[in-house]
Amino acid sequence: MAWLEGSALGHAMRHSGPWTYAIVNLAHILGVSSLFGAVVILDLRLLGVWKRIPLAPLTDAASAVAIIGFAVAATSGLGLIATKATEYIGNPFLYVKFPAIAAGVTNAVALRFTSAWRARAIRELSEDERRRLAWTGAASLVCWLTAVAAGRLIAYW
Amino acid sequence: MQQRITWPRRAFAAAGALVTAALLSSQPALAHHGWGGYLEKTTDISGTVESPVSLAGPHATMKIRAGDGQVWDVVLAPPARTERAGLKEGMIPLGAQVTVHGNRHRDPKRLEIKTSRLTWNGQTFNVYPDRS
Repeated sequence: MAWLEGSALGHAMRHSGPWTYAIVNLAHILGVSSLFGAVVILDLRLLGVWKRIPLAPLTDAASAVAIIGFAVAATSGLGLIATKATEYIGNPFLYVKFPAIAAGVTNAVALRFTSAWRARAIRELSEDERRRLAWTGAASLVCWLTAVAAGRLIAYW
Repeated sequence: MQQRITWPRRAFAAAGALVTAALLSSQPALAHHGWGGYLEKTTDISGTVESPVSLAGPHATMKIRAGDGQVWDVVLAPPARTERAGLKEGMIPLGAQVTVHGNRHRDPKRLEIKTSRLTWNGQTFNVYPDRS
């Protein structure tokens, strides 16, 4: 944390005008909201909601928005935390948020390697494959809800 | 087809009702977190500047050492607002005598004061002029 605060990024965040943090914070919110909104649609579809919308095009669009949202949130988030990194030591919400993000990313990467995901545009999925997708969607919802909630609560500790 | 459409509609209605109920039942808790975590009563602390004013992060901050040797975290307004009140980085030197007026953190073990006014060298910086 001390290293992050002392880094060039931390220095830039602290010494480039009074609006820097606010603007980077705005980028973080845009990133998080895009990520979370897309993930909710994706996960609900995996759980079997909106079955009349074909799986492949919906998941393509939602996962693209989620990935871009994640990239924006992660980049801006690094800047936010680097500003006064040492102040977050001991903040319990941080120790909930980052494991939840790690679990959410692992879950999303694992999803891409499943037979169901790879076959979703080519053929009808089996009952078993659909059930596996539903479990992945449920796990994803839990991970990202936890990450967003813990992330917001960092400011209130 | 026709039946599927009712699911999201019902979900939206339920979500809307929940949000409305939450808003109605928790009005005071929605106050800006800048004050929610602090005591109602105000406190004045005089001390010397231990760490100068920083206009970085969600709120401008500084540290002062009180007469009893304890170091306090002084939380000011958001950086742009603090600057508009006339308080700039590098203005108050290390070791200068200042007095801060504001609200202590609710946790008595935490030496943190959310500051609405800061006085230094005969000048008062009113970062939250609408607060007593």
